[in-house]
Amino acid sequence: MIKLENVSKIYGKNIKALQDISLKFAEGELIILKGVSGSGKSTILSLIAGLSKPTFGEVIVDGKKISKLPDHFAASYRRDNIGIVFQKYNLIPELSVQENVLLPLFPLNLPREDMRQKAKKVLEMFSIEHKSSLMVRNLSGGEQQRVAISRANINDPKIILADEPTANLDEKLSREFIEILRELKSKNRTIVVATHDPLFFELDFVDKIVNIEHGKLL
Amino acid sequence: MNKINFYLLEYAYSYIVRHKNKNIFIVTVFTLLVALLSTLFFITSSLQYELKERISNQSDIVIQNYKAGMPAAIDTALLDKLLEIEGITAGKLEVKGKYYFSQKKSTFYLLGVDAFEMQDDPLIVKLLDQYDLSDSEMLVSKNVKDVMNQAYYKEYFNFIKPDGSLQKVTIKAAFDVGNRVELKNLIIMSKDTLRKIFGYSANKGSDIALSVANKNELDFISSKIRLLLPNAKVTSKDDLLLEYDRLFDYDSGVFLSLFVIALFTFFIIIYDKANGLSSEEKREIGILKAIGWCVEDVLHAKFYEASLLSFFAFTLGIAIAFVYVFVFKAPLLGAIFTHENMLDIQNFQLNVHIELSYILLIFLLSVPVYIAATLIPSWRVATLDADEVMR
Repeated sequence: MIKLENVSKIYGKNIKALQDISLKFAEGELIILKGVSGSGKSTILSLIAGLSKPTFGEVIVDGKKISKLPDHFAASYRRDNIGIVFQKYNLIPELSVQENVLLPLFPLNLPREDMRQKAKKVLEMFSIEHKSSLMVRNLSGGEQQRVAISRANINDPKIILADEPTANLDEKLSREFIEILRELKSKNRTIVVATHDPLFFELDFVDKIVNIEHGKLL
Repeated sequence: MNKINFYLLEYAYSYIVRHKNKNIFIVTVFTLLVALLSTLFFITSSLQYELKERISNQSDIVIQNYKAGMPAAIDTALLDKLLEIEGITAGKLEVKGKYYFSQKKSTFYLLGVDAFEMQDDPLIVKLLDQYDLSDSEMLVSKNVKDVMNQAYYKEYFNFIKPDGSLQKVTIKAAFDVGNRVELKNLIIMSKDTLRKIFGYSANKGSDIALSVANKNELDFISSKIRLLLPNAKVTSKDDLLLEYDRLFDYDSGVFLSLFVIALFTFFIIIYDKANGLSSEEKREIGILKAIGWCVEDVLHAKFYEASLLSFFAFTLGIAIAFVYVFVFKAPLLGAIFTHENMLDIQNFQLNVHIELSYILLIFLLSVPVYIAATLIPSWRVATLDADEVMR
């Protein structure tokens, strides 16, 4: 369960990204945050991920006040619960596919075999295992998208957050991505997608569409 | 941080490789700095060690006579007077001095010996045991022999006496001085022959060498001698040590000017690093935080990165300095430490003598500074909201 209670976020002195927003998402739901660029969609994702803290209000995930977590706990919360797919993928181009996918687990210092198995499993799941040793910069946009999704799923997170995930993809690849979302939803993942791509608004498996404009819910 | 995290170590290594142009520059300056400093310390500590060894073979106090501010012969009669001073256990009149060979622009060091006299230097003792020197013969170092050969003196050498006449002395043998820097230009002959070359009469010598029972009293006895012989130059072992120390302080100053340039560049790098990261570097830290790394993890990886780079540059710098000084004999820079009247390292292997405290000092001056300069800006960025960093 994800809850935003009267959340406002102000950047700098007076840039109001969100104004008194309250939202509630149930486990296993697919939610679309709809709005134009700068409407505040990404800020909501960022607050749910614990990447930033609200100026006012609370963000509560599974009963925990995320907005109050100190850095160390916020990091482990993200690692254990959240998978993020960024608009520009935010991969490290000079690392291999496997290294990028395993990057969230590096601080855990797990045995090599465990790491290898985890990478294999997730890369197979998103059909990119055959490129595991290639450097990310040599992959196409669609392949990079798959690597980003693989990385977001490396630790079986309960919540997937995707920020404009199809902004850099053509329609065919966008539809492939939507199929991946369908599969993730079937595994009872809670998925929040921030997008203004019309492809998402007509999907039969979307549970909720939230319209945002100028930091407010419509 | 108890256990080495090899994933973070590999990540740190890959980070260095990914930013290779910048890091090659840093490693170059870092290595140069360490190599310059280490060269300074290697040369000075090696030479100082040599000099102290040399001094240990010398007499406790040496007295030279001066007339009108110029060195002059000293009379053997003074010796009896000096031996009356309490604390002095033995003394001898020495005949020795420099001889400038203008044809080859070389300065020989001539030492007069007496078969019945005790010698302090083990090499001289060994040579005198090996060879019986007559008044017309001399022993020369291999270097002196080479110089003489170049001037076509193969069997003998003609020394020019103060009155312009020649003193012919036959070369009995050439000896190897090994690593004894100071004996490179040594010639050994009888005291009588040397007196003829220097124009001394039979009871005169170049100086008087004294042995003192209690080495802690060197200064005290030296001052007593100065009172007794106000015109004489009294030099104790302690004075020599001080003189060498002052000399190396001066040389180190010359060398330090080179070091300052390297240090200046190093601090520009430190300043640049400490003042912040590039947008690309910041973004990467933001990504790491977004995917679940905490501040400690980021700093852990950055610590590895800075340690790998600085340890590599430090080790490389030390290795370069070692090879430069002890294998290649410090070409160019070694000349700063060369003194014609004392040392000539050109034909000598500087002996490996390294003060570990100096290495530790260089390490503390460079590695922790660099690691701190890497960690501080990374910490600043890592403690910001990841969202803010990636925007």
